[in-house]
Amino acid sequence: MNSNSTEPVLRVSNLTKAYGDRTVLSDVSFSLAAGERVGLMGTSGSGKSTLLNCLGGIDKPDSGSIEITGNFIQEKTADELCKIRRETVSTIFQFFHLLPTLSARENIELPLELIGIHIDERNERVQNLLEEIQLTHRADATPDELSGGEMQRVAIARALAPRPKLILADEPTGNLDSKTGESILDLLEALSQKHDTAMLLVTHSKAATRICSRTLKIHDGALETSN
Amino acid sequence: MKLQTKNLNLFSKTTLRHWKREPKNTLLLITVLALGVGVFLSIRLANRAAVSGFTLFTDSIAGESDFIVRAPIGDLPVSILPEIRDALGPLPVGIHPIIETTAARTAKTEASLYRLVGVDLVSLNNAVYLEAKSDHSKTSPPSNQPFDVKLGDSRLVLIGETMAASEGLKVGDVLPLILDDRRIELEISAILPNNPLRASIPENLILFDLPGLQKLIGKPDKISRVELKIPPGEDRQRILAETKKRLSEIAETQFAIDTPSNRESSAEQMTAAFRLNLTILSTLALIVGVYLIFQALEASVVKRRPEIAILRSLGVESWRIQRAWLFESLIIGMIGSAFGILLGYGMAQLAVGSIAMTVNTLYFENTTTAARLDSGEALFAFLFGLGSSLVAGAIPAREAAATPPSQSLKSGVRSMGLPILRKPIIGVVFVVAAIALSQLPPIRGAGDLRIPLGGYLGALFWLLGLSILAGLLFPTVRKVLMGFSSKNAPLKYAASQFRNPGGRHRLTAAGLLVAVGMAAGMAILVASFEHTLTGWIKNLLKADLYVATAGTSNIGNENLIREDTWKVVAARPEVEGVDIIRRQFIRIDGKETWLAGSVYNQNSDRRLRLIWVEKPTDPNPENLNLDLPNKTIPVWISETFGRRFSVGMDDTIELPIPDFEVTGTVKGIYADYGNERGMVVVHRDRIVTWFGDESVNNVAVYLNQGTDPETARTAFKKEFPNLVIRTNEKLRNESLTIFHRTFSVTYALEAIAIFVAVAGLGMALAGLLIDRKSELTTLKEIGFTRRQIATATLWEGLGLGIVGTLGGLILSLALGHLLIFVVNRQSFGWTLDYQIPLMSLLSLGALTIATSGIVAFCVGWFGAKLRREQEG
Repeated sequence: MNSNSTEPVLRVSNLTKAYGDRTVLSDVSFSLAAGERVGLMGTSGSGKSTLLNCLGGIDKPDSGSIEITGNFIQEKTADELCKIRRETVSTIFQFFHLLPTLSARENIELPLELIGIHIDERNERVQNLLEEIQLTHRADATPDELSGGEMQRVAIARALAPRPKLILADEPTGNLDSKTGESILDLLEALSQKHDTAMLLVTHSKAATRICSRTLKIHDGALETSN
Repeated sequence: MKLQTKNLNLFSKTTLRHWKREPKNTLLLITVLALGVGVFLSIRLANRAAVSGFTLFTDSIAGESDFIVRAPIGDLPVSILPEIRDALGPLPVGIHPIIETTAARTAKTEASLYRLVGVDLVSLNNAVYLEAKSDHSKTSPPSNQPFDVKLGDSRLVLIGETMAASEGLKVGDVLPLILDDRRIELEISAILPNNPLRASIPENLILFDLPGLQKLIGKPDKISRVELKIPPGEDRQRILAETKKRLSEIAETQFAIDTPSNRESSAEQMTAAFRLNLTILSTLALIVGVYLIFQALEASVVKRRPEIAILRSLGVESWRIQRAWLFESLIIGMIGSAFGILLGYGMAQLAVGSIAMTVNTLYFENTTTAARLDSGEALFAFLFGLGSSLVAGAIPAREAAATPPSQSLKSGVRSMGLPILRKPIIGVVFVVAAIALSQLPPIRGAGDLRIPLGGYLGALFWLLGLSILAGLLFPTVRKVLMGFSSKNAPLKYAASQFRNPGGRHRLTAAGLLVAVGMAAGMAILVASFEHTLTGWIKNLLKADLYVATAGTSNIGNENLIREDTWKVVAARPEVEGVDIIRRQFIRIDGKETWLAGSVYNQNSDRRLRLIWVEKPTDPNPENLNLDLPNKTIPVWISETFGRRFSVGMDDTIELPIPDFEVTGTVKGIYADYGNERGMVVVHRDRIVTWFGDESVNNVAVYLNQGTDPETARTAFKKEFPNLVIRTNEKLRNESLTIFHRTFSVTYALEAIAIFVAVAGLGMALAGLLIDRKSELTTLKEIGFTRRQIATATLWEGLGLGIVGTLGGLILSLALGHLLIFVVNRQSFGWTLDYQIPLMSLLSLGALTIATSGIVAFCVGWFGAKLRREQEG
């Protein structure tokens, strides 16, 4: 694409979204540079999830624009949005959302298959990622055989597999104990640095923002502060 | 009372609102149950109608007789009447002599058959409450008006109101008919109105004055039977008993005493196996419907699991939730069954024609054209539907009740399904039980009825066993799908679903397996039947032309080809030789069967060859004319006769021939798929000696070498315009057409079962997608397009279709074997060659798999819109 160090990976401008009479996002604007990690904090119902859904192309904003690596996603068709989700934006979830019938390896490999990467390269990338998350020995385990921390590592590897420019991490440590949560944060930090991937980290926890260069706060759908 | 109110609230606040929100789902559920109940009821109503079409004319004209006196074979002499009168003395018993025969409307092959009944109109007028119309367009004249018939006239007849209306006949019209091999013209002299207090006058009944019909058919001193009626009164029971006693004293061998109810029940017994088979087949549609309801209710449990968990966390007891679910299935059962009754009534009208025709061809003549809604049958079907719905709802209800409150916000929790489906060892046990059960002998019911209970139970256990074992096919199917999945992410995802298939997968495959197995099993039966029948017909139909009277496809046809006619046929210059047969009803051990006298053409190699079940040591039919050393006569019997009367090779049979003491020894048993009453074959010369009648039923004509059958047929037809003359090819085709018509109801039932099963697959997949909506959202977030999600569901549907179809085809081989070698042999006594219709089975399998794929893709396309609940 057309990303470079001066161009932001993500630029959100005047984003507004309402469900009926209730405004969920109100004139939200911010941007993320390549490789930058930004925290997004807010209470329940503050509009975090809606913002993430809009950024992921799952929801459509009522007004405003979302530009990801130069592409205005609200102008894209459903298939073009799918392509963006495959190649440019990945999501990490609080509840991991691994596909339960696929092994760890297969879960990581699936996005690469969607992109159509050759099997040899696929195998190499998956193997490298398994090593990076230190789960080579658990590659053939299915999610129900993995611990919470292991599942989240696999989810991170899956998110990184297509080498996206942006990762949307939705409470990635919210369902883990504090020790495991810390290790996951370390992993996210290390891998985003290594792969030069920008990250929007949605969290309740102030501590989790330690890996971010700045933090955005959202309240009643509007951004309050920008550090 | 308080508890009931709470339940109602739970139902109205949850279930009813879900129904309102998703009316299409609810409608589908009700439709499927209605379809199941409808099919079940329609077959039962049509069966009942076909059997009830067997009525005696007195039921409709004079009310039911108390006794029927008839000869064991052939007609009674008129001289029997004074004997009976003398025997009964002063007893107040109405004696009504009756002569009966049949005639056809035209000399077409499938001409409708009329029953010509001659009664003593004077005595009947005195005894019953008849009303005659002199003009059918006006209302009936007052009762007790005498018939406007010139007594003893062989042209003047009365017909019923229904026949007059359907054929547009009125008083004074001329009705041309073919009687035996000649054309006659009758004149309608009166039209009898239907009486709401009695059975309707059969549509095909034509009433004569007794001497008129006797004269018409050339039997002035014969009657077919005597019906006796005792008037109502205090003394009736005593008179009944006394009459029976006195009749028995003079009966000896010259006549048999029967009652109308006996005759009807023997008709019912005769068709019992046939009706039982159809009922069991119709139950299939209901079973598959039950499975569908089970799927749907289970899907609703999955879908509403968060809601159930919230209710549970609010303190609603698990039994109350279970009861709410059962209540839901009860309500669905009630509504679906009620609609099913209406549907069944409508479908019965469509099915009755086909079933009545089969009964006409195989069992006895009947005139059924419409099925009546019987309240008992309707109630039975309603309760059956209701019970089925409750059974289908029981497991999902238990599952709903078992939902812990902690599951309220978890997504991706898979349904448990039936735990038994995960235990292959139980499947093996069931299969072993099935094999053991199929070895059991039949249970003997009333009359000829033999119920192959072991066979039916065997089929059920095969079905259950293979439903469980089908789960073993999933790994193979997964492996095959994975083999193609290296560049296909949707296929890989779909194949991964079979890694450790859940209860719903197993259940869906089991449902398809049952439907495909039953349908393919029936296809094997039909193919085996057809193969056997084709071979039989090929052996049987060696002649070039077949000459018969009109209405031959109807077993009740009594028309004959007179001696002077068939001898002219046989003497034609282009004729090389003929087979002739004369058959008539005979009563042995109180059961009606056929006695046939045959002579077979011995002039050429193309002679008829019977298919032997037990081959005679002397297969030359001419030698049937020679007496045996033990003073008995040699007879050949059909396989069905052997089963009905429990006789085998070298057993003896007493033949009740008036004025003759005849014992036959069985010297051959042949296969006969043309009638279910069975037949004893003797040499025709014996029949001529016993009855002094040279008439025959059919003549099979062998033409000289080089004679064109069609040219000969045209020439024959010109000379004998009132006979039906068919070429070999035409008769073969007609026989097969009748055969296929016989099975038309079966085909329709199979199609419905497959439809319901595939609908079940769609519903199951919809449930699975709801189950996996969290996964679907993940797939979308990873980058799956809607089409790819639909394609993944398509592959999954195909996988399920393959497992269900493969299992079903394996099941069909076992069921086909059971149906042919156990159920059919025990019920009907017919030996069939086991044939596997490979192309039909492959087509059925391909159709099922393809339909499964299409349904799955559609479900996936719409399911792709599902999204997980917001988290965090």
